[in-house]
Amino acid sequence: MEAGGLVAAPSPPVAVRPGRQSTAAWPLADRIGYWLCWATGVALCLIAVGIVVFMLVKGISYLRPALFVEHPSASLHQSQSGGFLDPIEGTLIITAIGTLIAAPTGVALAVWMSEYGRPTPLARAVESAIDVIAGVPSIVLAIFGLLVFSESFLGFLSQNAANGSVYGRSFFAAGIIMSLIALPLIVGSTREALTQIPDRVREASYALGKSRASTIRWVLLPSIRPDIASGIALGMGRIIGDTAIITILLGFTLTTQGVGHAPVLGTLRGTGSTLTSYVYYNSPAGEGNAPQKAYAAAFVLLMLVLLLNALVTRLTVGRSSNRVGLLRVLGFWRLPWTR
Amino acid sequence: MQRRSGRREDQRAERTLGALAVGLLVLIGAIVVTVFVNAWPSFSSNGLSWFGPGGDVRTQLTAMQDSTPLPGHSLEYFRAWPLIWGTLLTTVLAVALALIVSTLAAIFLTEFAPPSVRRALEPVIRLLAGVPSVVYGLIGILALAPLINQHLISNGRRESVAGVVQLNGADLTTATVILAVMITPIMVALIAGALASVPAPWREGSMALGVNRWRTIVRVSLRTARPAIVAATVLATARALGEAIMLSMVSGGSPFAANPLDGLTFLFEPVQPLAATIVRQAEGLTIAALAHTVYAMSAVLLVSAALLSFAGWAAKQPLKRYGIRA
Amino acid sequence: MRAHRTLILSLILAAALAVPATALGKQLIIGGSTSVLPLAQKLASAYHKAFPKIPTPKVGGGQSDIGISGAATGRFDIGDSSRNPIPGVDPKGLVFTKIAQDGICVITSPQNHLQNLSQQTVVSIFTGAIRDWSQVPGAQVSGPIDLFDRDGASGTQDAFQHIFLGETLKISPSATEETSNGLEQNAVKNDPGGAGIGFVSFAYTAGVNAVGYQGVACTLPNAKSGQYGGVRNFWMVTKGAPKGEASKFINWVTKPGNTTVRSIINSSWIAIH
Repeated sequence: MEAGGLVAAPSPPVAVRPGRQSTAAWPLADRIGYWLCWATGVALCLIAVGIVVFMLVKGISYLRPALFVEHPSASLHQSQSGGFLDPIEGTLIITAIGTLIAAPTGVALAVWMSEYGRPTPLARAVESAIDVIAGVPSIVLAIFGLLVFSESFLGFLSQNAANGSVYGRSFFAAGIIMSLIALPLIVGSTREALTQIPDRVREASYALGKSRASTIRWVLLPSIRPDIASGIALGMGRIIGDTAIITILLGFTLTTQGVGHAPVLGTLRGTGSTLTSYVYYNSPAGEGNAPQKAYAAAFVLLMLVLLLNALVTRLTVGRSSNRVGLLRVLGFWRLPWTR
Repeated sequence: MQRRSGRREDQRAERTLGALAVGLLVLIGAIVVTVFVNAWPSFSSNGLSWFGPGGDVRTQLTAMQDSTPLPGHSLEYFRAWPLIWGTLLTTVLAVALALIVSTLAAIFLTEFAPPSVRRALEPVIRLLAGVPSVVYGLIGILALAPLINQHLISNGRRESVAGVVQLNGADLTTATVILAVMITPIMVALIAGALASVPAPWREGSMALGVNRWRTIVRVSLRTARPAIVAATVLATARALGEAIMLSMVSGGSPFAANPLDGLTFLFEPVQPLAATIVRQAEGLTIAALAHTVYAMSAVLLVSAALLSFAGWAAKQPLKRYGIRA
Repeated sequence: MRAHRTLILSLILAAALAVPATALGKQLIIGGSTSVLPLAQKLASAYHKAFPKIPTPKVGGGQSDIGISGAATGRFDIGDSSRNPIPGVDPKGLVFTKIAQDGICVITSPQNHLQNLSQQTVVSIFTGAIRDWSQVPGAQVSGPIDLFDRDGASGTQDAFQHIFLGETLKISPSATEETSNGLEQNAVKNDPGGAGIGFVSFAYTAGVNAVGYQGVACTLPNAKSGQYGGVRNFWMVTKGAPKGEASKFINWVTKPGNTTVRSIINSSWIAIH
């Protein structure tokens, strides 16, 4: 066939990732769009890396090993001395309480929603309820918590004033409300994993004579342990990062102050601070006015987040069919663009 | 034998777990009911004009704190418009900014970036998505606000609004920028994931027809990923709406309704979104009138969060068309 | 069997929780004025040192109005106030016990070594009549004035308005409000360009420039001798006459001739007993 007349040669069919393509032939609008994309992309890379590097540099320059073992000094003298031993303690305690409450509850709810789920209106209502909790601002939950824990019958969870009214702010109070914000992540993660297990596994187990509860306990749950663990890690990440609940429900004292003389329960009923409220306190928005301490504490927070992220990656890397990442549990897709 | 006890075990398990589920519903119900019951006095004495403008929020809050009603009004008198306007401004501007940046960056990451850059950037974006908001607030107030104060707010600008409001670096721009930076990583990850899930035959088919790569992206990939983009926006809006601590650090301490008629100075006026106001007034909950007002603000946030949840659910419906379970 | 185990565990847990709830020596909860806060904290630890069996009272902030309403609703055992009681406004049935006196200083940025302000200038600056540093004699910075005020719940703001501005004038509503002495101090100290001016309790004047008032420097000796005009009272507020643990504490603080308490108060405040 001779090529009579002008036949515009079409671009050859391209694979998913073509090499550099010449954009000279494109209309102006398209070229602008292309270069905008490049510009934004590069800018994003620069800003992202810039933020991380900035925090690392500032953090490392102000971080001293002594900070990890010293208690914070009295309020008005933050910039001179004192470390953040108590805030680290506080973060660990709050995370522990929150996770201990949210993990079994979350797994149980996910199991119910995925394996039982009757009556259906109830299941749908519970699903919406989980969505609502995931969306409610943590400050609203904190205000609600303040109201609840100030009731007199809950006085054992915080401190009783000498005249009988309840203080309402303690590690217990903050930890219990924290479990609420970790709950949706654990539920989502477990549920996703449970729905991934093919029905034939369950049918095989029933065929062997095991009851449903038994199947769940001995067959299904053990097989999704990494997903449950990554959901818990995500929940822990969210707990570590929340400041609003701490500011309102932890009765902001820089050092851990227990109530009464019981060894563990006294501390849990008392007040204290966490790394996040410590950063807030030492920033110009708080009274400590010690930006160096704030940077150092923020650096420690970043390290914790990095650790949790690495944990989640390690837990999910071996399971190609069950990639439960941060986004998956929110009900969206995995990250195939990183393959 | 085993079947009988198995069935009883099953029933017991179902009942316990069902009770847990009901317990959760009761808890959510309790939260909603408590907030609204405590907010009712403030709404009932102000009516719908609770949402409207009228006077200075600060004088109204002071009146409640001092238990001295303003002349001619009740103790519960409150007009939340400056706060609502502040919330709308920061949320809408930040989400709009983040949406544009995230979409362009996501396109860059999935289509144009070399694989090494892509692999290096994923952990960075995941890290940024997980950073606590108070750290962003720290960067904002220690790095960005002084920068804006020194270079963008001149004395002339200060004088133009002197007597009405004071300008320092903590203002609408700082709040919007830091908020946008905070929600961008999540949006980028979501949109990039959606773009990469577009079936390859669709894109290849489009390019085989002679459509250049950019137009393929816009017409085919973006359109396919539209439900995901909408869902990511909803998620980001929910986060921006509920952000309390970070905004109370960087948005400036005045509950002032930034005035667009001020021209460019509008961008540098302080605002105080609803969530930030709640944080500031949280100590004063022993005073009844103040408590009712704070709960009223919480009720507004609660309703917005519920509406956004519903919007998110509605946005996920089109996904069922592609068989994507979400 | 499993049910029995759960039952026993829950009983043990309940017992463990009940024990601290009935612990002897209830801890006092004190809160309110951020001006009284450092003094109350020092008094609380000295009280515990003097009577080791009594747990240290827990001291918080929140500003004076919160302290007064907290005492009225029972949230605090003792409320701290740095302003005088206002009949008709304060909740009924409260008893105010004076424990000390304090000075209020006008402060400026350390870059602005303003030596003295007359009453007229203070009034003009804080009501917003003067808006630029060029109109203030003795100022060492230029540009618009950055005014810092306290929140409506603050006793210091109340005291400042009464003492420095008179009964009728109010601080300009365009001022930036801070919710505690510490925040006010930081705001003025860190204000870029050194353009900030505000007022704090005397104990918070470290790192900022304390401005003299009507020719008298704002120092503790001047306040004690009565020469400095900006002096106000510190009160501890209880619902009705103080009883029980609260009365023990207040009696110890206000006992005439209590040298421990006197020396603590005299470090940054003015002892009156």
